[in-house]
Amino acid sequence: MKFQSEKPQLAEVDMTPMIDIVFQLIAFFMVITNFEQTAADERVKLPRDVLAKPPEVKLERELVVNVGFLRDSSGKKLDPEPLVFWAGENIRVGDMGAKFQQERRIAEAKKQDPKDITVVIRADAEVPTGAVQELMRLAQEAKFEKFALKAAQASL
Amino acid sequence: MKIRSHSETEKIEPQMAPMIDIVFQLLIFFMLTLKIIEPEGDFNINMPIGAPSQTNPDQIFPDIKVKLVADSNGHLAQVRLGQRNLGAGPDVFRRLNSEILKIIGYPGNPLTKDMEVEIDADYRLHYQYTIKAISACTGRLDEQGRIVRYVEKIKFAPPKPPNGE
Repeated sequence: MKFQSEKPQLAEVDMTPMIDIVFQLIAFFMVITNFEQTAADERVKLPRDVLAKPPEVKLERELVVNVGFLRDSSGKKLDPEPLVFWAGENIRVGDMGAKFQQERRIAEAKKQDPKDITVVIRADAEVPTGAVQELMRLAQEAKFEKFALKAAQASL
Repeated sequence: MKIRSHSETEKIEPQMAPMIDIVFQLLIFFMLTLKIIEPEGDFNINMPIGAPSQTNPDQIFPDIKVKLVADSNGHLAQVRLGQRNLGAGPDVFRRLNSEILKIIGYPGNPLTKDMEVEIDADYRLHYQYTIKAISACTGRLDEQGRIVRYVEKIKFAPPKPPNGE
């Protein structure tokens, strides 16, 4: 008859391979994450174009305007009117004039010329062009002159 | 004097548990903050306030006018280049692209590098068609995937009222 004389040994799990993999995963996610494009709103489905290459030089000062629709989970529009997603608010395109004026005052308080600020318009593919033009007109009234229209890069 | 007789080189086990805790925390943080974004590019449009659509008197070539007509649903019904009708359909932007090339001669032509394209789109027209038209005027991709620029300067015609034609 055997006696259990020895202490019950703790089974040591070999941690090394797991830690290796976990570090690999962390490195992967760290590299792939970028915190820069926080201004982009995922509700906006940009139009696609082959010429839309990411710019080599990043714009120095930019003011990003997201225009899109409120949609349900299946992608159907809840409201036929396009809305500007602005700092957590949904604003009608016609009411953006006050916001642009406010941005101009902020820029002037920071001793920046509104002419040096590029208004980056990220508009949904189905927004009427007139709404985008209206937005540009309102921005022009607030002394913004440079505009950039965003499009997602399409594969050939 | 101590004599290391039978060297009890016991391996010192480092405490792994706290490190693994933190490492998992980091892993979860990066996984949750991950936002998959597509590469985005932009088309520059310069609209100075002072000079609305005044053409330079010393400019030899007039501006290229591209008109985009929408149907009642906001889809593209017709593309007009100046007075010419380029029609509609999937190939229309390729046609527009080659017409622009004919107008400018060759890419980077110094005579036509100051030419401007004026995009005149109906209010209802979906924005994707406008972007396609801008892209067709701006240039094309060559075989190596580089951009060949045709016309750099794009501007918009004055906006139209929502219901006007």
